[in-house]
Amino acid sequence: MSNLLPTRRNGEVLSLRNSALKQSKALAPLAMWLPVVMLVFSTGCATYSEGPAASTAAVSGSAPQAPRRDAVLWSYRNAALALRAGRFDQAKAELDDAIARLGGILGPNKDAASARRLFNEEAKKNFIGEPYERVMAYFYRGILYWMDGEPDNARACFRTGQLLDSDAENKTYAGDWALLDYLDGLASMKLAADGSDALARAQSHTRATALPAYVPRANVLFFVEFGNGPLKYASGQFREQLRFREGTSSVKSAVIKVAGQTLPAPSYDDVYFQATTRGGRVMDHILAGKAQFKGATDAVGDAAIVSGAILGVTQQGRRSNADEIGAGLLLFGLASKLISGATNPTADTRCWENLPGHLSFAAAELPPGQHTATAEFLNAAGTPHRVKTLTFTVQPGRDTVVFVSDH
Amino acid sequence: MKLNLDRWSVSLSCVAVAGLLAGCASGVQNPRGVSVTEMKADERGFVAGTGVESQDLVRVADKMARGIVGIPQVVRAQGTPRVVLDPVVNETRFPINKDIFLTRIRAQLNSQSAGKVVFLARDRMTALERERDLKRSGQVTSGSDPNVVEFKGADFFLTGKLSSLTTRSSKGVSDYILYTFQLIDARTSDIIWEGFEEIKKQGLEDAVYR
Repeated sequence: MSNLLPTRRNGEVLSLRNSALKQSKALAPLAMWLPVVMLVFSTGCATYSEGPAASTAAVSGSAPQAPRRDAVLWSYRNAALALRAGRFDQAKAELDDAIARLGGILGPNKDAASARRLFNEEAKKNFIGEPYERVMAYFYRGILYWMDGEPDNARACFRTGQLLDSDAENKTYAGDWALLDYLDGLASMKLAADGSDALARAQSHTRATALPAYVPRANVLFFVEFGNGPLKYASGQFREQLRFREGTSSVKSAVIKVAGQTLPAPSYDDVYFQATTRGGRVMDHILAGKAQFKGATDAVGDAAIVSGAILGVTQQGRRSNADEIGAGLLLFGLASKLISGATNPTADTRCWENLPGHLSFAAAELPPGQHTATAEFLNAAGTPHRVKTLTFTVQPGRDTVVFVSDH
Repeated sequence: MKLNLDRWSVSLSCVAVAGLLAGCASGVQNPRGVSVTEMKADERGFVAGTGVESQDLVRVADKMARGIVGIPQVVRAQGTPRVVLDPVVNETRFPINKDIFLTRIRAQLNSQSAGKVVFLARDRMTALERERDLKRSGQVTSGSDPNVVEFKGADFFLTGKLSSLTTRSSKGVSDYILYTFQLIDARTSDIIWEGFEEIKKQGLEDAVYR
């Protein structure tokens, strides 16, 4: 231990035995170190900056590589963009990469464990998305499998999608994507199996509009999406609660017009509804615990600092132990505040933000050859808000899949 | 009681350094990467899910190939039985490359059955027919009369189906997959052989993903 020299404060020489001096001396390094400590902790808790939303450059393959923990998110975004631009091979590659990562999350995972720690935010985990986002990845991949003439693999994707929604806390809304069951049954029917159970399940999930009966001879399948998907935000005192904001769009339904047929394509699945009806997550309880700890240590820190300061001021110069206890309380309070400050209960708000708001489907029987269809995206009044023209070729002996998006 | 001021300073310094170290340690996992690890195809890797994986493929294909070689219709056949592969039906929740099972079985039989069965390359018919037409038209040479139909017909069809049962709850996900393969007599439609294998896997993801 090094000796301390007498120092002056307000012209008074203070003795080394002066406990007030000890207190001030004790606080001096604290004051000196406080910014450093705060900087260190904030550096320690700093994470990668989130990657930018996928851009056209990202889709073209010239984008920088995604941070590992955001790789799936980037794949999701790029897949949606590629699908809408008709770059199906790229969409397949992006989704296959993402789905392969989704399948590998079982068991212990260091990144996941790290995200559970007190001082780390949830966004430290490798992103795979909330269940509705994972479902959409499988839904899109299913469309692409069907496009490639593999309805059984498409059905596998739809089944997995439905399964991902099946462990909801609120069982009323578990596994309730209407289109996933509907398409499961349709694929089964196409494969000469019985799809009636799946159709019955799908019909039980429908909310606004009933699903049409299967048309066995329909060989052109229109997968339709419109509107904007939900966005995430964090609420709560420490932003520990994950919340969803509904995407806004004027488009409320769609109609496909082809070869003299008018095929309604209303919303069969509402992505925002799916995102918000699952109930709480297990992670929500962990974040709530972190938030409670953060609040408690902050309050304890406040109380200790105030108590320590009062003791230090009132007992100054009385040569009692109270001023030393006061100094101790101050230090304890500061430590508690530091720990509180370092505790990070922030919910992960990384989001697959270019998802659609609604999913729909229509089927038609068309002769082989090239066809032109018109997709009208309607507003609430039933007036076309946007019109798209689609040209496609119907191949004999197999289904033709047409992906239609208002994005 | 005497306060040890220097010790407090040192303690705070230690806290700061520990914080710094913790900060440095928390950012990157495996900063040097993980070197490529070659594994056996029938070995369970460190990246695993509950779906169809290479060790399942090897296990199932091995069992089916052994089963096919041992059936009387193959062992005591008058000539060499000719087999055509018919695509496997996938009824599971896992999208898979369906041809890979039949390809593995065919390759194993071709390499280990010493010609007890012969597979017909029906998936190459387009190229084969083009070649035959070139020979018939005299554009390329032919070692035999190209007008004689020499494409062989199938004695048997080898096909299969993958079915699954899945359970998901707060305790995890469980996937049972039943692999069934059949050898079907092309003349009578009799199923002369059927083999199966069943694999069940369970797992639970970290709480941050639930």
